[in-house]
Amino acid sequence: MMDVIKEDQVLDCSGMLCPMPVVKTSKAIKTLEVGQVLKMIATDPGAPPDMEAWSRQTGNELLRSMQDEGKFVFYIRRVK
Amino acid sequence: MSIWKTNDPDVKKILYVQTHGEADPERTATPFFLATAAAAMDNEVAIYFTMNGPQCVAKGNGEKIVIPRKGGNGRELKFFIDQAVEMGVRLLVCQPSLDLHGYTMDDMIEGVEMIGGAAFNDMACDADAVIGF
Repeated sequence: MMDVIKEDQVLDCSGMLCPMPVVKTSKAIKTLEVGQVLKMIATDPGAPPDMEAWSRQTGNELLRSMQDEGKFVFYIRRVK
Repeated sequence: MSIWKTNDPDVKKILYVQTHGEADPERTATPFFLATAAAAMDNEVAIYFTMNGPQCVAKGNGEKIVIPRKGGNGRELKFFIDQAVEMGVRLLVCQPSLDLHGYTMDDMIEGVEMIGGAAFNDMACDADAVIGF
């Protein structure tokens, strides 16, 4: 069993294509406090590698990247 | 003094170079959306438009140039331009490329900046990546 991660905000990017999920995530994370968690949902098949790269570059922490009922779900903690 | 604004070593600088314009609509959107993604990753990003590139940022062309899509429903270039500008991507042109098309800065959309060949090369040397199209 995976630990349950409690999100502070949900961002649904279903149906959006590159680079929209990254753009929306970038904007959304800046509205959170440091330490808070954003749950982002996407259907773009490029989203998993994109979110890994985005986290690496921005320094925000990708807590979990998973698939749920055909959608990609990401939990990201704002680090800075 | 570099054209780049950041002094933060953690902020990477990416310079895109766009040489294509109206004649190649399928080659016009990609630099904008890659630059948008780069800006969303908190990098400092600029696109330098040279050769036919300034056509991409000439007034009215954002609406005129439609990115083709197999099966129809192409999207106007303006969508990609607006997205990039909103994320803080800077748009740069040089005088010789404007002259090539009979453009002046008045023909460019709002926000376009003029630089010269020396400034471009200086930016390139100072960039973490230069990507040409």
